[in-house]
Amino acid sequence: MNEFLEAFLQEARELVEQASGDLLALEQRPDDKGRIDSAFRAFHTLKGSAGIVEFHAMARLLHAVEDVLGRVRSGAEPITAALITRCFGCLDQVLTWLRYIEEHGKLPDDDGSVGRLAAAFAGTPKDARRPGATPNLDMAGDFPQPARELLKTQIVLLGSEERSGAAGRFASVATVVLNVLRACGRTDQAAEFERKYLACVRDRDSRGLIDAIEALFHANEQTASTFEPRTVESIAQEPSARTLRVDVERIDALVKLAGEMTVVRNAFAHAVNLAQNGGASDTLAALLKSQHAALDRLVDDLQLSALNMRVLPLRHVFQRFPRLVRDLAEQLGKSVRLIMEGDDTEADKTVVENLAEPLIHVIRNAIDHGIETQEQRARSGKVPAGTIRIAAQREGDNVIIVISDDGAGIDTARIRAIAAERELLPPDALQAMSDEEVTNIVFMPGFSTAKEITGLSGRGVGMDAVGSAVERLGGRVSIQSGLGRGTSVRFSLPFSVMVSQVMTATAAGQEFGVPLENVLESVRVPAASVVAIGEAYAFVLRDATIPLIDLAQIVGGEKSFPAGRPNYDVMVVEIDGQLVGLVVEHLGERMDVMLKPLDGLIAGTPGVAGTTLVADGKVLLVLDLPELLQ
Amino acid sequence: MVRYVGGRVGLMTYKILVVDDSRLARMAVAKVLNAVQPEWTRFEASNADEALIMAKSKSTDIALVDFNMPGRDGLTLAAELRELNPSMPVAVVSANHQEEVLRRAREVGAAFLMKPLTQEALSDFLADAQKRLARRQ
Repeated sequence: MNEFLEAFLQEARELVEQASGDLLALEQRPDDKGRIDSAFRAFHTLKGSAGIVEFHAMARLLHAVEDVLGRVRSGAEPITAALITRCFGCLDQVLTWLRYIEEHGKLPDDDGSVGRLAAAFAGTPKDARRPGATPNLDMAGDFPQPARELLKTQIVLLGSEERSGAAGRFASVATVVLNVLRACGRTDQAAEFERKYLACVRDRDSRGLIDAIEALFHANEQTASTFEPRTVESIAQEPSARTLRVDVERIDALVKLAGEMTVVRNAFAHAVNLAQNGGASDTLAALLKSQHAALDRLVDDLQLSALNMRVLPLRHVFQRFPRLVRDLAEQLGKSVRLIMEGDDTEADKTVVENLAEPLIHVIRNAIDHGIETQEQRARSGKVPAGTIRIAAQREGDNVIIVISDDGAGIDTARIRAIAAERELLPPDALQAMSDEEVTNIVFMPGFSTAKEITGLSGRGVGMDAVGSAVERLGGRVSIQSGLGRGTSVRFSLPFSVMVSQVMTATAAGQEFGVPLENVLESVRVPAASVVAIGEAYAFVLRDATIPLIDLAQIVGGEKSFPAGRPNYDVMVVEIDGQLVGLVVEHLGERMDVMLKPLDGLIAGTPGVAGTTLVADGKVLLVLDLPELLQ
Repeated sequence: MVRYVGGRVGLMTYKILVVDDSRLARMAVAKVLNAVQPEWTRFEASNADEALIMAKSKSTDIALVDFNMPGRDGLTLAAELRELNPSMPVAVVSANHQEEVLRRAREVGAAFLMKPLTQEALSDFLADAQKRLARRQ
């Protein structure tokens, strides 16, 4: 991909984020001139960028949006919720195009569909607010608040079970609805509603009438549906960024360390000279010792410094959430307020990128199952809008993210019942568990309740997927809840991901990892080369006699060596200057792993440096050889 | 100092300042500039403040300024640059060629160039700019 396209992709993404932020802000405060100006400029610059890379279809679409926003900016046109939704739809289309370009390295072909999309922006929208009406924007539909309430009341009235007076109810409901529509200037919709009403009267179809009223709320979304709304899943799948913005200071720190390494290198060159010219061995030893210490320290600093360049502020993940919450709340008919704190908290790039999906899943759950409908909340004496709070902060070596809501909370009795039904835990264990422990059962595989498998909450993924995703990142997640009060999910993740390299091998029927830094080489030793020395065994490798140790026996398995085989697979490792040959069943491969230190029950286990989850979900024990071979 | 070769003016190299908040747009201008005047030195700035610092510290000769920028827009910056150095030829670059913008550009003594910038348009502006700078010597 040429550099212009690369720069275009990066800049376009930033502009889309900027425009999204402005549009969201405008929904809350439509009179904010600064935001209107900023949104206009974002679309204008995006249009220009599209022109530079000769992406004419995109430029055409954005030009249409720019025109409308220009009129809004000059006051010639009001800003409406429907317009904002259309602008979002346009941004979604841009993102779809950007994903295409990222994947294929070239511009998509112009299939002429842009003409239709751009036309949706041209001309005066049919739903223009009448001048003088208060610009009170709701999340769904374009009716002023009192009109909405009135229409909703009609729906409630129609739901009444009373048989008598049904015809009268129909008539009075219809009158109210028609009056509301005409008062809002929606003569087209009024005419259509009247037709539907007459049909419902004829068929005595109260359900049909209710549907007709509900359809009014979505009527505006019809014009916007020319755009493909981004599914919630696709928001999660943003491609992992190939470029990073890094603070100059961090790069300078790395450059400084590189400079220090030159000094150490020169000292080693001097040491080599000394050795070659037969210099005094204790001088040489002292020099090597001190330079090794310096190098050791430098390597640690270098590693830290490099890892520090990989950290990103969580903002990268969090910035998608306002849009997500808005879309989900709208789809589910809930009213949700989002508060985010600590989005400048940093974490490793890998963690940040892989955190999006689990966090989004938790947010989905909060909106779908946690936060109640406005009516339900009113009945419980809560404010109609639910609140979701996402807070991030650094705590020592970890980054803590808490997602909490003031919704219905988790019904622990129900969880106990489900756990018992699915036999996830023995009954007496369940009995003994506290409510808080029971709440965390949701992370167990096999727990996902049928209620969770809505189209929205994923294809039956459930909290166990969240749990394992977090574990793969080397973190932990826990959940707390109060019935009727709300739920809080707490993520704890390592600040920097220490990626280590291991060499795997099988012994005693189990796979183990050996830190690569200990491994010298792997050899196949013919039985004939194995020499017995007293009770022990050894073999000769290039003039050195290397003791052979049966790894299976060391890890507590059955003695597997010598076993009369023609060859033995041996991993030659170095421990504190000593060479040792570990006899294994099979040699495995090199792997990059995220080492998770031991905690909990197995924390004190000697000989194990840590664990890691491998791709098929199994746990790999990584050995601490010095400890093991003591 | 001007050297004439076969009657053509302008084997001087000049320092040109490109101001645009979009990195992509700056790259596009750089490409056109390299085609028209590859020998010249180019400085870049992404906003009005940076531009003024650059203009002062590098003593730039000519400026190309994007109109649509956050904070102070290109026309405001053009006026500031002209005040700083009245003999500096300045062009405001914009995709938006409304009468209003053209008029304001004339008022501050800046030229106006359409976005996206073509070799022809830039070449004409630079030829004119060089003549004006040569006269000042």
